[in-house]
Amino acid sequence: MQELGLIFRALLRNKVGALLISLQIALTLTIMVNAIFMMQQRSEQMLRPSGLDEANIFYLSNTVFAQDYNQQVYLEDDLALLRQTDGVVDAIQINAIPMSGGGWSMGLQTEAGEDKDSTGVAVYMVDDHAINAMGLELLAGENFSQTDIEWRASSQNNWPAKTIISKAMAESLFPDDWQSALGKTAYINQAEPMQITGIVKALQAPWNGWSGVERSMLVPYKMETTGGRFMIRTEAGRRDELMPIIEKALSESNKGRIIRRVTTMDDTRERSYRGHNAVNKILTSVIAVLTLITGFGIVGLAMFSINRRTKQIGTRRALGATKGQIMSFFMIENLMISSFGVLLGVAGAIGLNIWLVSTFSMAPITPGLILTGVIVLFVVGQIAVLYPAMKAAKISPAIATRTA
Amino acid sequence: MLTMNNISKVFQTDEVQTHALRDFHLKVNEGDFISVTGPSGSGKTTFLNIAGLLENFTSGTFMLDDIDISKLNDRGRSKTRNEKIGFIFQSFNLIPDLNLYDNVDVPLRYQGLSSKERKKRIVHHLEMVGLGSRMKHLPSQLSGGQQQRVAIARALATNPRFLLADEPTGNLDTQMAKSVMALLEEINQQGTTIIMVTHDDDLANRATRKIQIKDGRVSELDVVSDRANSKIKATEEAIA
Repeated sequence: MQELGLIFRALLRNKVGALLISLQIALTLTIMVNAIFMMQQRSEQMLRPSGLDEANIFYLSNTVFAQDYNQQVYLEDDLALLRQTDGVVDAIQINAIPMSGGGWSMGLQTEAGEDKDSTGVAVYMVDDHAINAMGLELLAGENFSQTDIEWRASSQNNWPAKTIISKAMAESLFPDDWQSALGKTAYINQAEPMQITGIVKALQAPWNGWSGVERSMLVPYKMETTGGRFMIRTEAGRRDELMPIIEKALSESNKGRIIRRVTTMDDTRERSYRGHNAVNKILTSVIAVLTLITGFGIVGLAMFSINRRTKQIGTRRALGATKGQIMSFFMIENLMISSFGVLLGVAGAIGLNIWLVSTFSMAPITPGLILTGVIVLFVVGQIAVLYPAMKAAKISPAIATRTA
Repeated sequence: MLTMNNISKVFQTDEVQTHALRDFHLKVNEGDFISVTGPSGSGKTTFLNIAGLLENFTSGTFMLDDIDISKLNDRGRSKTRNEKIGFIFQSFNLIPDLNLYDNVDVPLRYQGLSSKERKKRIVHHLEMVGLGSRMKHLPSQLSGGQQQRVAIARALATNPRFLLADEPTGNLDTQMAKSVMALLEEINQQGTTIIMVTHDDDLANRATRKIQIKDGRVSELDVVSDRANSKIKATEEAIA
């Protein structure tokens, strides 16, 4: 620290190299902080619970081709077979799968009328076994009863009288008190009343990129369809064992349909967030490469500077500088260059984030993340300059008497 | 103040041993102005490096103000260099990115002096060498002679026990060399001990003691300079 002022004044007279490294540090910090922020946001999205007992659930599609297929009879037979299989906790027919990317959505509103605002909601058509088969947590109200379940023909447009909604949906409809949603009437299709009879803690929509991904509703329907899906929840740890058994049992029980796409919820989650994972890996690589380039840049500048100043270092040693003082000279010089770069980088990171927030509606960056980026770059800078500084400290003071 | 006994320096490679100094003896007294001469490759620079604690010696004893130099570690040697020795180099060795004030400040900062004390010393010594009005100039804005004056100011600012001058006029023209030499003589007359390595016999003869290094061995020559004679005369008068 003894030479602080001297280092600063000498730096001012050799600005170009230092300025270039400062700019590199600034660019790295700007990109690093925003990239980490984007990665954090993606990671948070990936960690959101779907509300389902994902580890023990799988589903399959049931594609009917037989002309004389009695859908109502065979659906009951299939469900009975599934529910009676040893190791199965429960099973349902369902129209869409959370996180799968494909499903139904409608609008719900608290007042009837075309001029009233509605809130988008994902629709899951299920029977009274849904809460158990999906592993949902019922926070308020009650499950559907058997008598609530209606048959829905493929062209049918009307809606049943009851619904169970997710807590996030309740909060959207009744922002002041989500619990007050219980027992209230919500309107679907602008005017068709549905009574909210239950609220589940969480149930994600099929689309993970949708801002209303947490908003969903269960509708008590059994579907007459040629392309339905069954969702099966098994006892803990028995999912993989039961998948082929159930596929085979269903296939053999009725030859008028094909059982296919037997898929776990784990796979669905992985597929759903594959893009997120890929982007995170790319961003991680970009950060690593940028940080490495910055580190190497610092090493390069320091080595160049030391080679250029070999005699000067020898002279300083001759004038009484200890090895430690020579090392600290270069560490402090780097700290000054890094500080300037970091200052620019903080401004750049905030500027870029403001642009990202206004352009892509992203959340604003946190001060903690900026601080982390600053610390990381200071540490990288000091580590990068350590070897050149040690090399400089080893320069003999006898260099000072050489005339070359 | 400085005593070297049986100092030898051997440079060792895989195949060859080179004796740069052999059984080197030298005693330097307070106030001496010693010139060191010798042909190229005789060991002058090795002697200078050892005397300036810039290089280790292979064997022998080297005492500086009752400090056994062989017992000092690198840190101790740096501290001793900083506190007791002032260096004047042939090519000045000023730091080109620092102005004159800051150049003189460098060794003072290693002493950990207060900024007030440092300022006092820097101004005093730059004024002493006639460059008080050019403190904010960079070395590149000065002539060679002026740069060497700055180097002298830097060497004196730490109040060293002696100055080691390595060909201090080697890079200067005759006029500037004379003026730098006159400055060194003035400094010596004020009590500072000087050891000066030089090729120039005329300059060497102006010292109060003249030693020659040949094949790594030292021999003391007769001194013929007026300054030396007058010094001897003054001593004789004092004794009488």
